[in-house]
Formats: sequence, structure tokens, C-alpha cells
Amino acid sequence: MMGTALLTAAMALPAVDFALAESAPEKTKVSFKYLNYSESQYTPGIHSSTSGGSDDNETHHHAVIVDLVSGASTTTTSGSGTGAVSSDRIKVNAYTVSALVPIEGKWSVGLNYTYDSVSGASPQYHTSALTTMRDQRNAGDISVTRYFSRSSLTFGGSYSTESDYLSRGASLMGSFSSEDRNTTWSFGASLSDDSITPQLAGIGNKSKSIVAGLVGVTKVLTKNDIAQFNIGYSHGTGYYSDPYKANDNRPDRRNSATALARWNHHFEDSDGTARLGYRFYSDTFGIKAHTLDAEYIQPVGSGFDLAPLLRLYTQNEAEFYIATNSPAETSPTPVPAGQAYSSEDQRLSAFGALTVGLKITKKVSEDLLFDVKYESYHQRSDWALSGKKDTGLAQFNVQSIQVGMTCLF
Amino acid sequence: MKRTTIRLLFGAPVFLLTAASIFGCSAATTVQPWEKQNLARPEMTFDYDPLDTRYTEHIYSSKEAASGGAGVGGGGCGCN
Amino acid sequence: MEVYRFGFRAMGGIGEVVIACPVRTKAKDAATLAIEEVGRIERSYSRYRSGSIVSRINLAAGGEWVECDDETLSLFGYADSLYESSGGLFDITSGILRQAWDFSEPAVPDRARLDELIGKIGWDRVGRRGKEVRLPEIGMELDFGGFAKEYAADRAAALLHAHEVGNGYVNLSGDIRVIGPKPDGSPWVIGIRDPRDRDKAIASIPLTSGALATSGDYERFFELDGRRYCHILNPRTGMPVDYWQTVSVISPLAVLAGSCSTIAMLMEGDGLQYLNDSGMPFLAKDSTGHLHRKD
Repeated sequence: MMGTALLTAAMALPAVDFALAESAPEKTKVSFKYLNYSESQYTPGIHSSTSGGSDDNETHHHAVIVDLVSGASTTTTSGSGTGAVSSDRIKVNAYTVSALVPIEGKWSVGLNYTYDSVSGASPQYHTSALTTMRDQRNAGDISVTRYFSRSSLTFGGSYSTESDYLSRGASLMGSFSSEDRNTTWSFGASLSDDSITPQLAGIGNKSKSIVAGLVGVTKVLTKNDIAQFNIGYSHGTGYYSDPYKANDNRPDRRNSATALARWNHHFEDSDGTARLGYRFYSDTFGIKAHTLDAEYIQPVGSGFDLAPLLRLYTQNEAEFYIATNSPAETSPTPVPAGQAYSSEDQRLSAFGALTVGLKITKKVSEDLLFDVKYESYHQRSDWALSGKKDTGLAQFNVQSIQVGMTCLF
Repeated sequence: MKRTTIRLLFGAPVFLLTAASIFGCSAATTVQPWEKQNLARPEMTFDYDPLDTRYTEHIYSSKEAASGGAGVGGGGCGCN
Repeated sequence: MEVYRFGFRAMGGIGEVVIACPVRTKAKDAATLAIEEVGRIERSYSRYRSGSIVSRINLAAGGEWVECDDETLSLFGYADSLYESSGGLFDITSGILRQAWDFSEPAVPDRARLDELIGKIGWDRVGRRGKEVRLPEIGMELDFGGFAKEYAADRAAALLHAHEVGNGYVNLSGDIRVIGPKPDGSPWVIGIRDPRDRDKAIASIPLTSGALATSGDYERFFELDGRRYCHILNPRTGMPVDYWQTVSVISPLAVLAGSCSTIAMLMEGDGLQYLNDSGMPFLAKDSTGHLHRKD
């Protein structure tokens, strides 16, 4: 095409093409975000064989479990034929401040600091024996990016501490664009080194290290479509067990691979944007997981954007997951003789999950943005698309609210 | 490492592989620089609201077995 | 943020720098730099200024090789592309035809005079070796007038951008390079005048980035026996083009928009196909008054 040849020639003229260059950010960006997160679990009542009339025994049976809960608020509802139990689990309040500072048009420095306080109760096995816990996490990271005419390179370092956990990480990321800037190749590599000091007698200090790599390509498909495809691999060795859970003895090696496809489409008629993503995950614990993400962002005037979102997730259980032995268990399931590894962690069971949410963004000016997001997450073993459903697990739910602000200077 | 990746990704749905092959040999028409005003919108980029992504990924990685996929880096924690 | 406008005269016309800045003094400093850059390009690439690189090359025609700076060499590189993509119609050695065409009085030059000048046109015959250039024949002339104005608009805009101006535009006699949208994010709306009724607009074009340039038969012309003779001259016939009244092109760079509109004017009847093939948005009005556009 003649226009393209001329464009290439015109862009070779000295310093006329600023708008097309892979430019560093122009303004300093400072963001703040608050997260309020609260978990709960819910066991639907066990239906009595006769309809109508509450079953004292069953209610009492649940009350036994309630007695095991220390510190967490639990409500027992006695309806007709049911004795449903709902318990609060972890609550998190997190605060993050973030700054992105451009330097001389060719560099940028990113800084993030997060403080979160965690409190509530966590099960010792499956969804039972909720035990109170309280912790604080301080995490910071820094990244330095150098921008070139069609590429960029980012170095990052991160640090995170909790009372019993310390994590240090380093990463390198790069991107390269084609001459027409319609294709961008990216790569990333990271290293992390974690120290674990369980606050339990008899368990010494542990460590874990993870090496991860990622390659990806982002392509402009049309003037309203952009898509990305990433393949990632992670190799971890060290202490993967959860020292606070019963019968938790996991392999000291975990490798995982991910494939991620994302697609954003802009609708010219409505001025809205759809963001779709699918991720496949597979690891050496024997878990395969599928995640589907969809979000639609619609400007509604006066600087407001409304964005409903939906997320669907499913995973099968880890090879060494040990299921509940009864719907209302009072002790962990014994590990079968001869089984080397075991875990009764709900997170390693087979389940499906659904998230629905709504985000509202208000652009006050070009330099000031506010956002609020509400999400409701529901995890149930019944919803697993593959694997062996452990029907003895309670349903797990999360409500979260984010409030954020971004300023540009 | 590469072989393990391939083995672990064995069983990934066919449409993902189809997506990958679209990237390999895309016949998409070239989008010109002056046609990119919609693509330049923040919500059309893949790092729209990084703090939101940070919280969300952190929550999911602590409550589900799967994690990662979009990038590298970020700190680990004792929550999983 | 306030929007400030700075007007000036340059490149044989009226220029303006319109920029949004938090403080007026900062806007003024940035605009001064941009206006100086336009002046520098005008001085460097004017045929009329003795000592300019162009006048030195033209004076040495038929004689010595002249060494050029990098900027001039890159302009030659662009001239190569213009020559190739226009099939030789956009030729930076065709300016000498103006020796025969004087638009201050309605007279068509005689054929022999035009043929003599056409013999001295030919960018493909200009000698190039390393950083040096040589016009092979006495009387030959280089003229960057075909794209210096647009190049200056691009350079001035790039300079403003480098000085942290994110919103505004540079307008040199209707050739516009946008730096960024208005402070509230909305586009600058640019009117395109009717070539036959300069008080009327035939279109208004919103731009948040990129450039808009227009070529037309209305800048310098005379009318004789019902025919309009304009300043855009075909280097093969020596005669003015007469297919289009005006051609406006939108592109990421002013220099590209200006070149495409000029090439379309020069291609006359084939110009529409050229514009369609270029893939860029355009608005053109042919001599019958019919509008052609692509958004």
C-alpha cells in the first residue's frame, strides 16, 4: 500500500513521530485502594426424612460444632426440617498506595506498598474446627522500566512480611513491538525465595523457592479488537504444606503451567468495551483448573462507567486430597496407610466457583478518578465440572468491596 | 522445563490451541496508527486498573489452587 | 488548565500554537520554542535565503558536490519516497516551473519556455554520494516548499510534546498537527473551508491526535477564459492541475497528510484511487463541486 510506504518514510524524519513512539508515562500517577474482604461458610441444613418440625438432634449436633469454634461468630438457624450453619471465616482490611513516576521520558519507577490486617477463623481440616487467627502483612515492591523506541524492559523487586512468613522476589520483564506496533511479544522471568517460621512447637523453619517464566504475544486484530495469548511455567521446591492444618503433608515440589487467552472488544455503537479471558491451569499436584472471566464496561455519561463482571472457575482435587468422612465430621479423616502425601485443605478439593460483581468508575477530570467495586464469590463442591466432589464440605462465600482513587500530576 | 510445560498443558481445551494458532499465522488486516483511538482507551488495555488486579489475583490465589497466567513478579505470602 | 493561543507569521502564511497549560508563563515559554523551531526550518529550507543549505545546493548546480547535515539527508530520504509513490509527480526539483508561472497576472506561459524548464526537472537525476548531493545541471533547483510547512508543524508539535505539553495543536496555514485533545479529553474541531466560498465550511473534523492537511487550487491562481490556473503544477506538462478543488487528508503526521493530499491533486483523475488505496481518511471536492470522502 502506497500510504504505508510513505508513512514509514515519514516516520524516519527526525523527531516527528512522538505520538506513535512507545512512550514512557508522561505524568506521575498516584493511586490508593482500600479492600474490605469477608469470608463465610455455610452448611445447608440436613433434611430430615419427615417434612415439617425441627429435628432437635440435628440442631444439637451442629451446636457441637459450634462449640468447637473459638472466637468466630456462628449462627445456627433452625428452620423447618433444617439446621443450617453459617460461620464467618477470615476478614481482611487491606490498604495499598501506589505511585508511578516518569523520569526524563525514558524511564519510569513504580512503587507499591500494601498493609493488610487479617483476622477471623480458619478451618483446621476441610471446613471444620474453625480456629481463630490474626496477622498483619506488610508488602512492598519496586519496579524500574526503561522505554526504548519499540521495546521496554522492567526490573522488579518485592518484599513481604507476616508474623510467620517472609517472601522476597525479583523479576525481569521485557516487551518488543513490531514496526507497525500491531504485535507485541513479551517475556518475563521471576525468582522468589520464601522463609516460613511456623509458630508451632516442633516445626522448625522452612523455606520455599519458585522460579517462573512467561512468554506472550499481544495482537491488534482490528481497530476494535485486541487479543493476548500467554504461556507460563513455574517450578517450585520447598515447604508447600500448611503447618496449621491437620494431616497436611504435601510434596516438596510443585510445578505448574498456565495458558491464558484474553480478548478485548470495543463496541462503537454503545461505546462499551467487553473484556473476556480464559485461563487453563495444570500442576504436578494433579490439579487442572479452568477460569472464564467476562467484564463489560459501559460509559453512562457524566464521567461514570458501569462494569458488571462474571467469573466462572472449576478445578479437580489434588491427587493426595483426602475427603470428608461424614457430612458433619468432628475429626479429620484418617490418612490411609501407605499414602505418602495428604491434605484436607478445602482449596485442594474439587469445586466450582462463581463471582458476580459490579464496578463503578467516576472520572472527575482527566487527572482524577474514583472507583468502587463490589464482588460476591461463591465456591461449592457441587459445581465442580471434573474430579471427585466432596459433598461433605461447607459452601464457601466471600463478599468484598474495593474503594479506589487515582490522581495524575 | 519446556517438556514439562507441554506435558502439563496437555489436555488444554482445543479452542486455546486454536487461539494460539491464530496468533501464529494471523491474516488480520493491518490496523493503521490513526485507527487506534479505540484501542488507546484504558479499558482496552490488558493492565487496566493494576491495583484491582493485584487484590483480585491475591484473593483468588489464596482461595483456589490455580494462580498466575497474566504476568510474573509480585510477592508471595503465607496465605496459600 | 487554561488554553492559550499564540499567533505568528511564518512559511508565507499565518501560524498558531494552541496549547493547554496550568500557567501562562510556561505556555508562553513552550510556544516560543515551537515558533522558533518553525522559524529555523523556514530559514534552513528556504530557497530565498542565502546561506541556507538549499540555496547553497542550488548555487552549486552543475558544479561542486555539497555536503549535507543529517536532517537534510533524511528529508532527501523522504523526497525519494514521495517521488516513488507518486510515480515521479511529486518532484522536489519541479519548483523552477514557477519561473514561468507568475500568478500575479493572468497569462499562460508559452510552450517553449515550459519545455525548457521541464528539461531541468528530475529528482532521479540528482547526484547522491554518502552525505553529499549535486544537482547535475546549471539552473536546476531544489525546493522543499512541498512539505517543509507540514514538517515544521510536526517538529513544533513534537517539541511541545517533549516539553510536557499534552493538549493542543500547531496550525501552519491550515496544516494542523494535534499534540493531544482538549484538557477535558474532547477533540479539537477543525473546519475545512469551501475552496469557492472561503466563509463557508464544507466539513468540520474532530481530532484528538494526528494531523490534517489540505491542498487546493485556491492558494495562488488566476482565471483566464473560464479556466482556473492554480499553483500546483504537473512536472511533466508544466501545466497546473485542474481535477480537484481541494483535498484534505487525516493522518498521524502532518507531513504525511500534506504529501498525500498534494499527490492526490497531482494525480488528478487517478487521485481518488490513490486516496482510497492510502487507507487514510480524506475529504475531497472535485472540479464539478462533487464531494468524495472516507471516514
